[in-house]
Amino acid sequence: MAELVCLERFSYTYPGAGEPALRELDLELAEGEFIVLAGRSGCGKSTLLRALCGLVPHYHGGEASGALAVCGLDVREHGPAELGGAVGLVGQEPETQVVSTTVRGELELPLELRGEPGAARARAVEEVALALAITGILERPTDTLSGGELQRVALAAALVLRPRLVLLDEPTSQLDPVAGDELVGLLRRLNEEWGMAVVLAEHRLERCLAAADRVVALERGRIAFDGSPTGFAGWSIAADPALATPGARLFSLAGVRPLPVAAKDARRTLLRQGLAPRAAGIGGPPMVGVGRITRRGGGSFAQPPGGMPARRRRRRGGPSPALEARDLWVELDAGGVARRALRGLELQIRAGERVALMGRNGAGKSTLLRCAAGLLPPARGSLDAARGCALLPQSPADLLLRERVDEELPGELGAEALAAVGLEWAGERDPRDLSGGERERLALAVVMAGRGDGKAPGVVCLDEPTRGMDGARKRALAEWLGELADGGSAVIVATHDVEFAARFAARVLLLGDGELIADGSADEVLSGGWYFATEVARILGGGGAITPEQGARQLRESLAPPPLGAARA
Amino acid sequence: MRSALAYVPRLGPLAESSALAATAFFGSLALVAFVSSNPIVLGGVGAGVVVVGVAAGARRALGAAARWGAALGVLVVAVNGLASQRGATILVRGWELPVLGQLDVSAEALAEGGVLALRIAVVLGAFAVHSACVDPDRMLRLLRPLARHSALTATLIARLVPLAAADHARLREAARLRGPAAAPVGRAAIVRRLVAGSLDRAVDVAATLELRGYAHGAPRVAGSSRHSRHSRHSWRFALAGAGIAGAGVAARIAGAGEFDAYPTASLDTDPLTLCLAVGLVGLAALPFAGSRKGIRG
Repeated sequence: MAELVCLERFSYTYPGAGEPALRELDLELAEGEFIVLAGRSGCGKSTLLRALCGLVPHYHGGEASGALAVCGLDVREHGPAELGGAVGLVGQEPETQVVSTTVRGELELPLELRGEPGAARARAVEEVALALAITGILERPTDTLSGGELQRVALAAALVLRPRLVLLDEPTSQLDPVAGDELVGLLRRLNEEWGMAVVLAEHRLERCLAAADRVVALERGRIAFDGSPTGFAGWSIAADPALATPGARLFSLAGVRPLPVAAKDARRTLLRQGLAPRAAGIGGPPMVGVGRITRRGGGSFAQPPGGMPARRRRRRGGPSPALEARDLWVELDAGGVARRALRGLELQIRAGERVALMGRNGAGKSTLLRCAAGLLPPARGSLDAARGCALLPQSPADLLLRERVDEELPGELGAEALAAVGLEWAGERDPRDLSGGERERLALAVVMAGRGDGKAPGVVCLDEPTRGMDGARKRALAEWLGELADGGSAVIVATHDVEFAARFAARVLLLGDGELIADGSADEVLSGGWYFATEVARILGGGGAITPEQGARQLRESLAPPPLGAARA
Repeated sequence: MRSALAYVPRLGPLAESSALAATAFFGSLALVAFVSSNPIVLGGVGAGVVVVGVAAGARRALGAAARWGAALGVLVVAVNGLASQRGATILVRGWELPVLGQLDVSAEALAEGGVLALRIAVVLGAFAVHSACVDPDRMLRLLRPLARHSALTATLIARLVPLAAADHARLREAARLRGPAAAPVGRAAIVRRLVAGSLDRAVDVAATLELRGYAHGAPRVAGSSRHSRHSRHSWRFALAGAGIAGAGVAARIAGAGEFDAYPTASLDTDPLTLCLAVGLVGLAALPFAGSRKGIRG
């Protein structure tokens, strides 16, 4: 295959940085390859992508050494504008990747800048809009788009010139599982049918490994692994388990080999080894056994265990709920027109519950959290948080405006809030000197300080807290939020990350178009659907196991020889 | 809710004129505000800006500019009153202030501050209406031949207001989410963060612009199909702008509309100055003459 990218001993250091972000990389990419770029946060994935499109070093400055050629052009001599026709980049933050007022203007801009005639522009815009299913928003102002829509528009703008190489930096971080899977499928289709080479940097590897031809893992700016997805599964388990997919962890814990790349591989292996989900007593029909699944207008899917509806059971006794919505309707202004974002929501969340709020982009997750925090008024009905509600927004950095931690949280109550998040030692530090996880906890302390009964607010909400986090940080966050819930606060996390939800939540609420369409325990909801299901649930066929640990337990049980008595019978 | 300064597509002559003509028109209003110190002339330019803003349907932008202009104006008048120790009409004598020592406050110093404040308000108003009514996409295309090799410059000019507006809305919302025991966040802290953050974001947007091919050596940006429709309105705005700038500069050269703050404030109120002020309002309104759809709230 022809060589598309060639790096030889390429190193790069950002201006003012103490150490290089990329160290002596030797890497070749062939035409039409689909490469997944893996690695922990800060390992150099984004820098490598920026180097491949010429932003590094042309735009960011700094020092580069070694050789880097893309599509036959020496990147030291050719900048991003010259490479732009052959290379498209979709970055992490969609807000900064849209430069035009309307979606159509955004898609036309690269073509206009290259002097394409009107007819060619119209056709290219139509085709890329069809491919990314954004024809319905072509005339929308870009400042009215949701994060997911912006992400699609940014991708469309990168693809409209039909580049030979497309670079994507965590493109699914803002997308729901449905849109994320669709995006990876689309990339695979473009790769297979048009030979477009793809380099995709991702933390949620379980979504994209199946589509990849090759995986490159970076560690502190160096290549730690370069090989097939199958090889990566084994390498990650041995060298850096935080990078391993849930499927690989499941097999590793259960002692099943070979380690899978995707759910399909895993199921095939289980079948070969006589461990078909049904034969092994695992799995069952989807959407059965869900504790409380309700559907407006359609009655209930299933009764909860115990026979009595959960809501009525709670109302007979026990403490009042931490959060209660009664016939909640919320309307949002969509360019002068009111859009119903929440429709007649009925909900109760108890103190100490760990709840994941899931649903497609635009389903109403953030609206519910913002309403709970008092940022949006209900149009009808009520939403009560008796002991207060703290909301950590999607950009926690917006809460940190001062140069010392104790200036953000002064006094005794401030110190208590810092202690509640384990940062009592950081009073004199500059928030910018804290790690990413510590900054997130500090921001949480800022929104929690002084709320509730002096210890913590009754409800703590987090809106998409795992954006851009690697597996290790997600695990640490899940543990920390669990401790917060154990302290008595109801913790509600709006997330698209089903694996994080499986690790953190005991209960999952699924919203669809502003309505509550499912409400049940995490193992029931996250094993009973097609899209909102973990990889382990998909491998095992939906038998209630959603984490690698639970799944491995089930597999080990089915691998164990039956008791003697049972064999005789 | 969108920022008052954020661009919203509108109907009317201003929306249909070219970005170059619209920018030249608002630039001429700002130019006269800079070259003239006479409060009557400045009042005329200010009235012209208000007429244009109302006719273009940018009342919210005018309101926002008026609020910022008033806040800045009070500050400028106060600082000038304390800093300028000239003027014959002493209002407060021997005011003892820490650090600054003993100060007099004169009516002339306050009047000079008032003229500066009026100038700032007029320029802010012109900027606000331009920002709310002139499509940033067209500004970007306009700037390309001038700043092809600086996507950052183009971004700062064409996209800084939308970016800052979005950031401001987010920061304001984050400030509302702070717990009661967290230190409250004032406007100054938000503005400080906004300035630093918006520049960072502008750099990121400029990087995207580079990748889209902004600095690419294509012969020219492909023509817009709306170009011919712009012509009539563009000419009107261009001519009105030339008239405003010409009248302001000519009056300045001719010595009309003088204002001297010291030693005692003296203000030209001759017919030429009054005619100039009224003429500026008329010239500003001229491009909207005969247009119904432009006169909307």
